[in-house]
Amino acid sequence: MRQKEENNTPALANWLASKFLKKTQHEEFLGDLEEIYRERVSRNGKFYARMKYWLDMFHILIGFSVLNPFKTDSAMYGHYLIIAKRNLWRNKVYSAINIFGLATGMGICLLICQYVYFESGYDKFHRNFENIFRVLIHENRNGTDQGTSPYATYMFGEAAKDEIPEIEDFVRVLKANESAVVSHPRSGRPVNENASNFLFADESFLEVFDFPLKSGAKESALNGMGSIVITQKTSEKYFGSDDPIGSTLEINGGNLPGNYIVTGVLKELPLNSQFQFDFLLPLENFWKNGNGGSVNRYGGWIREMFATYFTISESGDVPLISSKLDELFLKYRGRENADQQVVEKTRLQPIGDVHLKSESYASIDFVSNKGSLKDVRIFSLVAFFVLFIAWVNYINLSTARSMQRAREVGVRKSIGAFRRQLIGQFLVESTLINIVAAFLAIGIAFLALPLLGRIVGKELQLSLLWIPMFWGIFFAIVLIGSFLSGLYPAFILSGFKPISMLGTAKTVQAGNTTLRKGLITFQFLTSLILISGTYLVYKQITYMKNQELGMNIEKVLVLKGPKIIKDSPKVIDGTDMNQIRAFNEFSRSTFRTFRDEVSTDRSISKVAGSYSLPGRVDFIPISDNRKLGLPESAGRYGRLAFASLDFLETFGFELMAGSTFTKEMSEEEYVIINEEAVRSFGFGSARDAVGEKLISGGIPVTVIGVVKDFHWESLREPDAPYIFSFTDSTPPYISFRMDLSDIHASLEHIERVYDLFYPGNPFDYFFLEEDFNRQYQADVRFGNLFLAFTILGILIACIGLFALVSYSATLRMKEIGVRKVLGAGTGNLMMLLSKEYLVLLLWATVLAIPIILYTSKEWLEGYAFRTSIGFDLLLIPASILLVISIVTVSRQTYSAATLNPVKALKMDT
Amino acid sequence: MANKGLGEFEELVLLAVCILDGEGYGISVKKEVERHSGRSILLGAVHITLYRLQDKGLLQSKIGGSTVKRGGRSKRFFKITDSGLKHLKAAQEVRQKMWELIPQLKFNM
Repeated sequence: MRQKEENNTPALANWLASKFLKKTQHEEFLGDLEEIYRERVSRNGKFYARMKYWLDMFHILIGFSVLNPFKTDSAMYGHYLIIAKRNLWRNKVYSAINIFGLATGMGICLLICQYVYFESGYDKFHRNFENIFRVLIHENRNGTDQGTSPYATYMFGEAAKDEIPEIEDFVRVLKANESAVVSHPRSGRPVNENASNFLFADESFLEVFDFPLKSGAKESALNGMGSIVITQKTSEKYFGSDDPIGSTLEINGGNLPGNYIVTGVLKELPLNSQFQFDFLLPLENFWKNGNGGSVNRYGGWIREMFATYFTISESGDVPLISSKLDELFLKYRGRENADQQVVEKTRLQPIGDVHLKSESYASIDFVSNKGSLKDVRIFSLVAFFVLFIAWVNYINLSTARSMQRAREVGVRKSIGAFRRQLIGQFLVESTLINIVAAFLAIGIAFLALPLLGRIVGKELQLSLLWIPMFWGIFFAIVLIGSFLSGLYPAFILSGFKPISMLGTAKTVQAGNTTLRKGLITFQFLTSLILISGTYLVYKQITYMKNQELGMNIEKVLVLKGPKIIKDSPKVIDGTDMNQIRAFNEFSRSTFRTFRDEVSTDRSISKVAGSYSLPGRVDFIPISDNRKLGLPESAGRYGRLAFASLDFLETFGFELMAGSTFTKEMSEEEYVIINEEAVRSFGFGSARDAVGEKLISGGIPVTVIGVVKDFHWESLREPDAPYIFSFTDSTPPYISFRMDLSDIHASLEHIERVYDLFYPGNPFDYFFLEEDFNRQYQADVRFGNLFLAFTILGILIACIGLFALVSYSATLRMKEIGVRKVLGAGTGNLMMLLSKEYLVLLLWATVLAIPIILYTSKEWLEGYAFRTSIGFDLLLIPASILLVISIVTVSRQTYSAATLNPVKALKMDT
Repeated sequence: MANKGLGEFEELVLLAVCILDGEGYGISVKKEVERHSGRSILLGAVHITLYRLQDKGLLQSKIGGSTVKRGGRSKRFFKITDSGLKHLKAAQEVRQKMWELIPQLKFNM
């Protein structure tokens, strides 16, 4: 029995054959096919045999079936095209609607495909991308998950390469966390560069990854301690058209101040690369020049901060390598880990997955613009919906129009046309329309591309068009689409009895109304889902923006702190505490006098320095915290932010217990924490926490105050424990709480004082609120994109509905005339005509409920703070759609209902 | 029809039918052509060509024996007609004549 099943030929293919092949041929062909199928099963396996069977079957079907359009004489073809063209011209409005609707649908679909293609192509331009992996480390402490992080210790990569033969090469990458001022000594003007523009990497970076150099040698570009590789854009910015190789760049501030010699210029980085930077510096430099102090101290096995990538040999077994990596932890960190009851497990993530599949550790991920797999999936679905709506339109319109074509078909049939020929004719028509629409679609996609680019914030190109594969799929879809969308009308039209079409008594029904109603219901349903999706996205964004932040970010001006402090004592050796102390002393006194001086202006009420800002997570090290006296294994994760005097007051944090910072406190010894930290570190209540000692990042500090919880970041992220540590040194950000009534005068004053105390620094400022709201850019973009597609989807559905209603109105012209003569009012008649569509809308609404509820819930999972899912999610879209459809329908129904009944009754339809 | 030449594939199929001498049906023709030409051919293409040649009157066919291998379905065996043979010969002659007209064959091998 089992054996027999194995050998069965695909039943569906056989069924198709029995439908479309002549009886005599059917037997012979199936015999041949079965014979060869068995041979193939035994030789190449079942899957291959089945695929081939289908292929052969299609070939035979096309060659012999009644559907064969190629068997028709070529003269007939020309005739079909002429008839098709005439038909298109005769009903210009419907043809335009048909073609334009289809083209828009296809165009949108094309754009979304391009977007999806771009998003899923991240980091796949490296020649060897399939063998490059990023290491992820999952930490479990005391039986509780500490999460997954892409950071490893300094020595991890090196040890892995030395001890695991399958690992061919490794690269450690580190993103800078301090912004810097860069200048070209000769041309001189200093420029503020964000921390994210600097990347530190091992020499092997240019070998493992494919970032081609425009000039400079790949092998040696990152060798020297003082070398720097810049991108072409950066080169133009600093050196214009000059060749920068061998020139010097001066970097002040940042993680690594000093003079650097340009050794390489990279071609523009591909947009779909996870690394986006302007300056590439040797990693060696980073730890040899002071920053590596702690790294060196423990043999390079503490301080997880280096994203580590491996190239693995082709034959390497990934899980096996991963378990070998786990053993490294036991070997080198076994004792420490055992003391703290930490278990570390590695996972190797293919580099192509980094962009879309890094959700869970995204917030500490240094990938510059993380994508969302969910978004990509949602958009793929939307693309399908939109295309489907467009095709449904075509089917609806064509079947509805079959009335008009009935007489033509009748004449054709009575003078001897075969059914096959009629089907062929309608398929030719639908193919013609689809192909015209397809070319228009490419045009539409080109026109709309910059718009899409602006919405998603990426410069997109229709790179899809350069892939031969794409054209194959494109035309396959167009052909399948024209076949499917033409098939139904073709069968309906060719199936009529000629006598019923030629007689005066109209017994012909315009197609199958159940199917048409089903399709319209489906269109309504998709439109509803799209509208409700858009509504939800905006509702969530509004919700997030309107939440109490627990701080006041309005009317706060932020100045980027100075990188150059004139006359300050130099720190030559990063480990010499005396030098550091002298520098800090100077930095502090300068900042204090600056603050006193700048506060003299009446418009400025508070001034505070901080190492980070609400809405930003740079300069916020993750620290390990525990109450004094608890064992090391009790450590809890917390975010450490350095803040100066008046920090709480400037940003409007609400103090719950204890007090704020005072001038007399010594630096980095006193902290203010938030409620979340109180809970997480186990202090009991806010009042209990005040005065307690905390070990934060290995240093004992005293809690002096507790502030109410606040949303430092976007509400996408959950609340985290924060520790504000006191420092009054010159900070990376200086914030001013001020009266904005005379902003020009205030700015002038600030700039003057700033130049006095910190000469040689650029004057860059921004408003905190704006900066903070930039976090929601991604969400807003997503919303805008969704909105755009929804509007277009609805537009397409609307024109379809419009055309259909106008058609059914003309069909019922006589009925309306009779009703009118008998005394029906305009409103009555309009209701009569609209009623059937409103019922369908109702059905769609009912069907939409579970889908909307489920998908909304799914989507909101991605946010830590969610808006509520209520009935508004259904009612608002339903009423919007109701209004839109009534408006669409009413023009037609109104003109039908107000037509002079005499005219209608005279009409010879 | 008579003055219309044979296509290359048609010629191969005709030849295969001749070689098989009455035993030619879809699969055996396909295999024969594949064996000699060394390329892989779709079954459908063979069927379409066989029927086209029959329409042109170059082949004739009859329904023949069935086997278990085929699920008990019968085969259609093809045989060449006189007209078919004439066409093949004509094609061969044309080629032969043309080959003889080539002045000198130089093989750079």
